[in-house]
Amino acid sequence: MQELQDSNPNAALAMKCTVQKDKLADAVNRVMKAISSKTTIPILTGVKITSGRDGITLTGSNSDISIQTFIPLEEDGNENAVVHTPGQIVLPSRLFSELVRKLQDEDVHIEVDSRFIAKITSGATEFSLNGLDPEEYPNLPIINGSDAFRIRKDLLKDMIKQTVYAVSVTETRPVLTGVKWMINDGKLSCVATDSHRLAQRSVSVENGEDSGTHTLVIPGSSLNELSKILDDDDEQLVDIIMTTNQILFKSNNVQFYSRLLDGNYPDTSRLIPTESKTTIDLGTKDLYRAIERASLLAKEERNNVVKLRAEGNQVEISSQSLELGRVFETLVPEHFEGDPLRISFSAKFMMDALGKLDAQSVRIHFVGPMRPIIIRPIGDENILMLILPIRTF
Amino acid sequence: MANARVIFHVDMNSFYASVEIANHPELRGKPLAIAGKAEERHGIVVTSSYEARKMGVRTTMTVREAKQKCPQLIVRHPDFSLYRRTSEQLFTMLKDYTNLVEKASIDEGYLDVSHWIHRRHPLNLANEIQSRIREELHLPCSIGIAPNKFLAKMASNRKKPMGITVIRKRDLPQTLWPLPIGKMHGVGPKTEEKFSLAGIKTIGDLAARNPDAIERKYGINGRRLHDFANGWDVRPVDPDSWDRYKSIGHSMTLSHDTVDLKMIYETMQQLAGKLEMKLKREHVASYELVVMIRYHDWKTITRHKSTMQPLRSRQEILNLAFSVFQANWSGEAVRLLGITLASFQAISESTKQLDLFSYQNDIQTEELVDLIDRINDQFGENTLLPATRLLNKKRSESPDSGC
Repeated sequence: MQELQDSNPNAALAMKCTVQKDKLADAVNRVMKAISSKTTIPILTGVKITSGRDGITLTGSNSDISIQTFIPLEEDGNENAVVHTPGQIVLPSRLFSELVRKLQDEDVHIEVDSRFIAKITSGATEFSLNGLDPEEYPNLPIINGSDAFRIRKDLLKDMIKQTVYAVSVTETRPVLTGVKWMINDGKLSCVATDSHRLAQRSVSVENGEDSGTHTLVIPGSSLNELSKILDDDDEQLVDIIMTTNQILFKSNNVQFYSRLLDGNYPDTSRLIPTESKTTIDLGTKDLYRAIERASLLAKEERNNVVKLRAEGNQVEISSQSLELGRVFETLVPEHFEGDPLRISFSAKFMMDALGKLDAQSVRIHFVGPMRPIIIRPIGDENILMLILPIRTF
Repeated sequence: MANARVIFHVDMNSFYASVEIANHPELRGKPLAIAGKAEERHGIVVTSSYEARKMGVRTTMTVREAKQKCPQLIVRHPDFSLYRRTSEQLFTMLKDYTNLVEKASIDEGYLDVSHWIHRRHPLNLANEIQSRIREELHLPCSIGIAPNKFLAKMASNRKKPMGITVIRKRDLPQTLWPLPIGKMHGVGPKTEEKFSLAGIKTIGDLAARNPDAIERKYGINGRRLHDFANGWDVRPVDPDSWDRYKSIGHSMTLSHDTVDLKMIYETMQQLAGKLEMKLKREHVASYELVVMIRYHDWKTITRHKSTMQPLRSRQEILNLAFSVFQANWSGEAVRLLGITLASFQAISESTKQLDLFSYQNDIQTEELVDLIDRINDQFGENTLLPATRLLNKKRSESPDSGC
């Protein structure tokens, strides 16, 4: 048998296809975001390639997230790929992604035999790689729920950017490492907090009305990766499908699966003050830069403390370090209302929050020196950033 | 000769009062006392200028008593951030001369200048250090020069203010031994009484006793004092001792080896309670915690955890310690548990990042904090201070440091 197969390669052929190098490199690059070299399931260090009748699918997974990219045979009248023999193979991902990037010719030919040996040729270059049995690759979660909605890609990316920075990076309360998504009445509300600051944003979504009320907690790390693989054709819509323990994002030729976090997300709404004793409007960039300068000194001290003093229609930002000295800066607010106030907070937290806002000006609400500070961009009521002050003894 | 050491003990003269005078020249030559809460009659004098001392003002007197002794006494509130900054400048300056500088407290330190003696006479070097401190910081100090730390400390105490005193070993019979035992560094009122009852009235009396008899009667510390009295002290000048000293810990052997989490939790609770009391006594918050686990087979592990949030209360210490324990416990039977705290900061300087889920507990003190801020704003930094800051400062000053 062995001899017969060797003398007749076609009989042993498990997969054969030809792909445009750029398309392949792009697709591999995206699935690589899900692949980790530190995994307890060895086959997950590989990338799975499936050649089918409509095109070629690449899959990468680390069991928390899985990414699938699809290269259609034809797109906008251009030929991307040709499948001679449908089939599948798992190849070592890091090596494969690197060699694809370094190939010189426009086309890449992949030929796999029944012993999982892949011959990759491009121009005059020929690689032979030992692959793994694709039957051993775990199945992706099957998601065919009807709980779905759609959102514009640029909006989704903004939402992620404006909330995910506030998730907790420690595992003290695991559920806080995720962003809470609540879909209700055609509206998606996202909240993230590490208990020292909080970010919240809501948007309208399409088809959301049908899906009823859903609350789910998506790991912050998943959303960060998702944001990286979504390209920039802003107008496009992303389909989002939810199940009890998985969420699937479908955009164009990319599918992104993430597991959800267990546990009850705390109700933060009752912790956010609704009154305001001092309200100040300031230019976002002016304030950001003033805090940035003050933090030059604050960095050296614990907790990165800067002080804000609002009085007589002036805002003074200051900080000091025992070793280095002091810094004072005065800002004139566009609007000032309420009581004079002194408050201390982390320069880093304030800069993190301000840096995520596109609005020219922000409105800051203070309730007291030891109560949450609320920052809202002027002109967008759907965004709220909150930071807790620092208490000095 | 090769291992002869030359140690300086630099002791600032009435440090807090002197710093005030250096920053407010109009106070020069006047009787000045630094006292907490002077507006209340129970305000206590923490230190005073030599002019005030001449009139009978003493540390720990109430302001009222002090004013009876010295009606024209000027009373100032302490400004600890200023004193601490000044102290840092002082030690930075001392490090110009040698890396072997040991900070003993905010206003005194030891220098090992042995490597200088081939080039410069110690008296000449001490003179330079003293005048530099006078010129650059406008502060008086006394310097003791001796072959070891104990004698250097005794020497700096001989002449204040602005003294430079040398004690050589061969001078001991004349300089040290005639002094009453209570004047010896390391002998407090209690030890003085004990020695006194045993007929030890002077340092010389102690030096002449049989060391073994002293050790039997007064323990290892008695032996040490006997060595000192004879001018023997081999302790090195240790630049790190200031920081190293700063750790407190407790451990407890369980009544039997256990895997019972409830028993482990309760043991840690007790340890955390003891540590909380120590923190309160020292008026500090901790930013680093070490958990020690010793298993039934004496295998011992220690695990560190640093924190951004100050640890102050039993619950805060317990929560962190228990989570460190859980993250590192092998599941085997535990014989002994220990918790150590380090990286301290004075409570007056520590800060706490408030928490969304618990800020309402901290709010209770909000009005007070706000009021203090407003008053300080109007009348200048540190007009009003939490009492802990005054206590904090009194503790950092040993009763005989004379500052």
